[in-house]
Amino acid sequence: MHTEHTIETPHQRQNRHKAMEAISVINALKEDFKFPIQSMGYFYDLFETVYCRHEPLHEGKVKIGTMCIQIPSEIIYALDGVPIRLCNGFYTDDEIGSDLLPQKSCPLVKATVGWFASDNFSDKPDITFSPTTCDQKTKAGAIIESFGHTVIDVGFPRTKESEESHHYWRESVKSFAVKLSKFQGKKLTRSNLESAIKKIGYAQSLYHKLTEFRKNKAVPILGVDMFLVTNAFFFDKIDEWIGAVEKLVAELEQRASAGVNVAGKASPRIVYTGSPPIFPNYKIPLIIEQSDAVIVADETCSSNRMFNDMVAVDEWNLYDMIDSVSDKYLKACTCPIFTQNDDRIRRIIQLVRSYSGDGVIYQAFAGCQVYEMEQRSVLAAMEREGIPILYIESDYSPSQHGQLTTRVEAFVESLKNRKRMKK
Amino acid sequence: MRYFVGIDIGSTAIKISVADENKNLVGHKISASGSMFYKYAQEALGELLRELGIEEKEVVYTVATGYGRKLFKEADENVSEITANAIGAQQAAKSYGEIKTIINIGGQDSKAISLDAEGNVVNFAMNDRCAAGTGKFLDVVAMNLEIGVDELSDYHFKSVGTPLSISSTCAVFAESEIIGLLGNNHSVEDIVSGVHYSIAKRIVKLVKRIGVKENVYFDGGPALNDGLVSAIENELGHKIFVPEYPQITTSYGAAVLACDAFMCE
Repeated sequence: MHTEHTIETPHQRQNRHKAMEAISVINALKEDFKFPIQSMGYFYDLFETVYCRHEPLHEGKVKIGTMCIQIPSEIIYALDGVPIRLCNGFYTDDEIGSDLLPQKSCPLVKATVGWFASDNFSDKPDITFSPTTCDQKTKAGAIIESFGHTVIDVGFPRTKESEESHHYWRESVKSFAVKLSKFQGKKLTRSNLESAIKKIGYAQSLYHKLTEFRKNKAVPILGVDMFLVTNAFFFDKIDEWIGAVEKLVAELEQRASAGVNVAGKASPRIVYTGSPPIFPNYKIPLIIEQSDAVIVADETCSSNRMFNDMVAVDEWNLYDMIDSVSDKYLKACTCPIFTQNDDRIRRIIQLVRSYSGDGVIYQAFAGCQVYEMEQRSVLAAMEREGIPILYIESDYSPSQHGQLTTRVEAFVESLKNRKRMKK
Repeated sequence: MRYFVGIDIGSTAIKISVADENKNLVGHKISASGSMFYKYAQEALGELLRELGIEEKEVVYTVATGYGRKLFKEADENVSEITANAIGAQQAAKSYGEIKTIINIGGQDSKAISLDAEGNVVNFAMNDRCAAGTGKFLDVVAMNLEIGVDELSDYHFKSVGTPLSISSTCAVFAESEIIGLLGNNHSVEDIVSGVHYSIAKRIVKLVKRIGVKENVYFDGGPALNDGLVSAIENELGHKIFVPEYPQITTSYGAAVLACDAFMCE
């Protein structure tokens, strides 16, 4: 007769599932590649602390959930909040959300909804702001609210060219600032906003330094490591993140001068675009880099789009600053939800040129309609430019690994051949 | 005395149960199937009867079941292992309660069986194609880790880290994954618990296809592995019942069916 075991609670089971997902990705990052970077250790530990041990990072702080990157974190920091970006990459949560949303929904949205449905957070947001970006995110806000969580919509326009939409968005951001200020019982002032803008600006400048190294012929850092670093910005303590990235920049400087190359001699250089790879859904980036290619740049909202463009302030007055912050999140945004999105195509081409990309890999989540729809125009543009591109549709399930690997490998091989032919 | 024999010829082992007129289990024997099912089955039956002091003519009805059931020509009757498993589980769990769901992991297959209130099979699901996540798989894992199959359970409960999931429950591919994990100095304990959870997730998915109804009964050789039992309980979120001799449930069921068949005649 076997012994009695204590059986996990649903939360414990969910945590174990997430820990198992997380650890296999962390181990792959740590162990599958040559020339590991020492200062990446901070980030591996951080993800293990949060997703394997489920320890809170922000006890005693007010946590402000954001459903998309368009909610200005400058204003949140100015008002003493901690922004927690709720985009979720866990298959465990995706499966929970699948019971609540239509079958063909985006896995990222399902995972976020699943997370709230199970109400199992180590750092639970006290309130969540939901910009009305894509349809699914917009509706997800209302569903999350039905679970008893406070969600406040922040109106976001679907065109970015017109004066009306600029105006509309500036008003939206102001109204967001007022609501958050009331919630926090704290005034937004010239000085607290200015120092928040400067702090985030500094974090962005560190990101730019990291990306500069990726222009080198010898690439000193993998794309998957870069995704982890930018992903950490979703939830980490900002000062610690800044400290860790400063160390990383210093180490990359050394590696760059020593000519350390994490890729192989013939490894094609990939520009990655499409639905955001959010930890631990690094399925496609890992396959790419395990297939002897290296990601040198990306055009995704979890990484480049979050850091690329700085707030450009003319006058350091409160209202001018708020308008400048608003503009950064609208005008510079290349999200496919916009009616016209030539900016995104221009950005991809520019990334290919300045990072000497050999090809583009475009991943869309099955169910992420806007990325799926924009695939046509991006593919056509790349063809015009003579840039090879691979379009992949995938989701969070671990099952298609074999087929995806074959497709990516074939693409990588074709890029290698092209390179050889050119020589 | 009259006795009834159930003989279950599986891919990995031959299981024989002997029941009396009251359907009580009076003895059982497990031996490897090896290369000559028929010969080994006959030998094992002869030995078991000798051990129990039962004469051959006292055996009045024999039912064969399992993949190799048709090879055992002396049997009075053949039944599928699903029917026999259902009957055997109910009989074996009589003192525990009514069984509504059976999980069976065999040497090279796994099944989930759903029963109605009368104990009839209403639905079942089986793994398709290959031996992924079955007893054979555990053998391969233990061999790669250079430990005994019977040690897997101890290693499971000693795991303190996050279980390291094996993405493939295919014995062939898992082998290279395990070697990779060992090469990177991961603990055997965490690998073992990861393997158990990978199997547990897979089997629970199978069970959910037919619906989980309590009580849940778990049998087959791998049910001897208490670590795997705990992993399945955690994945299921329910307690599961494991009988005293989890390997022989199906042969016992066949013996019970033999008794019923004889009494009807």
